[in-house]
Amino acid sequence: MAVARTLGGIGRVTLGSMASIGRAALFMIRAVAAIFTPPFYVREFWHALLTIGYFSLPVVGLTALFTGAALALQIYAGGSRFQAESVVPSIVAIGMVRELGPVLGGLMVAARVASSVAAEIGTMKVTEQIDALVTLSTDPMRYLTAPRVLAATLTVPVLVAVGDIIGIFGGYLVGTGKLGFNASTYLQNTVTYLEFWDVGSGLVKGAVFGFLIALTGCYYGMNSGRGAQGVGRATKSAVVAASVLILAANYVLTEVFFAA
Amino acid sequence: MIELTDIHKSFGSKHVLRGVNLTVPTGTSTVIIGGSGTGKSVTLKCILGLVTPDQGEVRINGAPMTDDGREAFLERFGMLFQGAALFDSLPIWQNVAFRLLRGNLKRPKAEAREIAIEKLRRVGLTPDVANLFPAELSGGMQKRVGLARAIATDPQVIFFDEPTTGLDPIMAGVINDLIREIVTEMGATAMTITHDMSSVRAISDNVAMLHEGVIKWTGPIADLDQSGDPYVDQFIHGRATGPIAAVR
Ligand SMILES: Nc1ncnc2c1ncn2[C@@H]1O[C@H](COP(=O)(O)OP(=O)(O)O)[C@@H](O)[C@H]1O
Ligand SMILES: [Mg+2]
Repeated sequence: MAVARTLGGIGRVTLGSMASIGRAALFMIRAVAAIFTPPFYVREFWHALLTIGYFSLPVVGLTALFTGAALALQIYAGGSRFQAESVVPSIVAIGMVRELGPVLGGLMVAARVASSVAAEIGTMKVTEQIDALVTLSTDPMRYLTAPRVLAATLTVPVLVAVGDIIGIFGGYLVGTGKLGFNASTYLQNTVTYLEFWDVGSGLVKGAVFGFLIALTGCYYGMNSGRGAQGVGRATKSAVVAASVLILAANYVLTEVFFAA
Repeated sequence: MIELTDIHKSFGSKHVLRGVNLTVPTGTSTVIIGGSGTGKSVTLKCILGLVTPDQGEVRINGAPMTDDGREAFLERFGMLFQGAALFDSLPIWQNVAFRLLRGNLKRPKAEAREIAIEKLRRVGLTPDVANLFPAELSGGMQKRVGLARAIATDPQVIFFDEPTTGLDPIMAGVINDLIREIVTEMGATAMTITHDMSSVRAISDNVAMLHEGVIKWTGPIADLDQSGDPYVDQFIHGRATGPIAAVR
């Protein structure tokens, strides 16, 4: 009896999570379709570029600066155990552009953007603004989701690129100011050992993370429960889901790009 | 003509609609009355497909509501939501002119703004609210902006969810007259939800009373006072005692 109940419970949970995965996948397909089919809402897109991209610059820049600086200290400490302090510039650069720039930048954008998108769309949902859009012959997927998802997919790579530069600069400041590196040698080592695909893979990661961030924000907002509590829960779930998805996607992409 | 046949809808274990049957002839004004929480708003949303009925059928001019059919229907449709549902990121005039600024009915900005201001005037609002944002208006003003948005493109079918709730008696009178005018002069089909009996008398051709998930009584407004239905009698006279429990 107890066994049957336990198995039944497991079955229900499994079916339930399969159903949510299915719903989320369907939402993703509809969002992508909405990006590529008219009507296109250009004003909403520009607005999303500004709020998602431009206004995320400070937080992404600061994150990268401190990360690059700490990275230089760590690599110097580790490298000195093998008398390999000279690797600091190139490892800082590689670590930044391949991994920490996109991942930490992505997580910071997730905290900022997934939450605000989920809260905004969730509030629209509970105050019937989404229903009103439908009655005004405006598809919420095209009007709300598509501009945000497209804007995030295009701008997060740019944010990552800016973060890469600032992060490397953070390492440079510590390297030259504290660790005794010669300024021109540091820069030369950074550039010489950095390959195109180091940077390129990081930018691709940024695009995927941006897509996931806006998509989860919209998904949880559109499926928000009723009332202020519903919006609060949607916001929290969006940030958690976006962060976990970023880390999982990061592993998968790293595996795809760099596994021998 | 809008026809609802045996519409059922539950939310979780709450069985809200339990077989709603209702016919709204083209060019007439039907008012739905009934206690709060009986599913009046849900009924309107079932017609629009904003809520999917668990069972039953909605027909527009004899044809079942399909996705394409809904799109065509919404092109000539307007709705005032119970909570106004204004877009708080847009100024008032852009809310009213929402449809005139994008999509098939798009027109030059100046012209759209002019139409918006004219519609605002019809609901008793002056042009100086045009550039404000929804959050800067009182609830009653927001309601009237929602009404202006619903009628902005002179739709043929209009739903009003509690149009006079939160308005003072004079403004309620203005809105009642406006709704009546839209039906009589423009030949529009209107469905209105209201608790306000003076509104019912001013607006309606036909009245339908929703109670316990079904239409308990429906008939022309002239018959409302002699309906002989104890539910209707209790409701229109606002008696605390009768077949409708006061605690729900
Ligand atoms: N989206 C929803 N989810 C769950 N319950 C709902 C939803 N919409 C309406 N309800 C419930 O359905 C009932 C009828 O609601 P409604 O149609 O808004 O009532 P009213 O007749 O006052 O307009 C209420 O008890 C409400 O709580
Ligand atoms: Mg209602």
